[in-house]
Amino acid sequence: MRFWSILAAVLPLTAIILVRESAATLLFSLPIAPLPLVVESKGDFESMANSLNRKGFKAQAPAAIVGKSGVKHEFAFALTPDAGKAKIVVDTELSVGEVDEMKVLKFYVKVFDVGPEKAVLCVCPRLGERAATLAKEYGITVLENDVPRKLIPMAEKVVNEIAATGAN
Amino acid sequence: MIEGKKKIFPVHYAPGKKLFHIVVTLSDAPGSYSSILDLVRTKVNLIGTSTYTRNDGTAIFSGFSEALTPTLTGKELEKLIMSSKAAISAQVSEGRDGILVDTFHTGFVVGDEEYILMRRDGLVHVFDRVSKMLGSGGDALLFEEGVAMGQRNAEMMIRNVGVQRVRDQTGVLNRFLAAQGWGILEAEGGPGRDEFTVRVVDCFECSANGSSRKGCNFMRGYLAGGAKSTFGREFDSKEAKCRLRGADACEFQLSPA
Repeated sequence: MRFWSILAAVLPLTAIILVRESAATLLFSLPIAPLPLVVESKGDFESMANSLNRKGFKAQAPAAIVGKSGVKHEFAFALTPDAGKAKIVVDTELSVGEVDEMKVLKFYVKVFDVGPEKAVLCVCPRLGERAATLAKEYGITVLENDVPRKLIPMAEKVVNEIAATGAN
Repeated sequence: MIEGKKKIFPVHYAPGKKLFHIVVTLSDAPGSYSSILDLVRTKVNLIGTSTYTRNDGTAIFSGFSEALTPTLTGKELEKLIMSSKAAISAQVSEGRDGILVDTFHTGFVVGDEEYILMRRDGLVHVFDRVSKMLGSGGDALLFEEGVAMGQRNAEMMIRNVGVQRVRDQTGVLNRFLAAQGWGILEAEGGPGRDEFTVRVVDCFECSANGSSRKGCNFMRGYLAGGAKSTFGREFDSKEAKCRLRGADACEFQLSPA
């Protein structure tokens, strides 16, 4: 749910009302100006993790993983076949404009400390040129889309492909 | 004896005062320093001085001072100093508009190593910014940098005094960090010295107000890196207490990884 909250937060002139009722979490975005309406309750990383867990994988969303340094890092999603060791980590960066290189760097230093096999950064709408160069240099898999909710199935596809290649 | 901060004088500001920086090359012989002091004390009030020997049989006296009379000139002081047999050369620089800057020295040397001087809270704010910009990754980065520096510094010390002395004299060598303003380290070793608890009073890393960080990751790494070089094995380092979390001092626990 945090994924969508962040998107709403970065959209100007958008009022956010978060209503939490028992286990269900609903997010309503009430646009004051004619901006894209974001209403999402399913299909986020939590659902993706639940789906993978049902298949026998060990997934967390959000995931808190302690790196080599002893510092605890948070990711939007992680596949952790061994306790505390990540195979795949996924994070999101949402922006009104292009996502800059500092966001890539921020993700990379976490990845460096955790040392997963694969690092995936979901970006909306897209990385800037320098950020893209940096991501490539760091070996980060970047998924881009103008529509945030489309990033979830894109990430799920990548995660499933990688998960299927080795032990869970 | 009260522990305190050493005052050094790369710069001094005293509005309305006539200020001089006196630098004298002396013969490195007993009595040289006092003979210079005897001469200049009649003309100036010394604010801060330092002396050190060089490897060529000479020594340097460097002093920041205020003139006792407003008509005193630098040339007069130089002439006065050179009347001493101990003086080889003298250079007196006058301050401007109440500001006196050391224009003679270009840094600091400890042993054979060059040092720079930096404001303590300036460095702490660099750490704050790294942590703020890079989040938890920034904290990990600070830890890694601490490990690297701890290793290098311990290796340097081992080269200078030998590994056994570094192992045996940890308490004495910790005072070296205290003298540099890192904080006052008190280490307690466990049985067989496999585990250590290091308490750091006045830890520099958490000394600035308003830090958003929750711990001293650089210092935590520094201790792990230093222990690794000293004992030849990996150490886990945890910060059990920190001033950033409300404790009165930081406390680190080191154990073999």
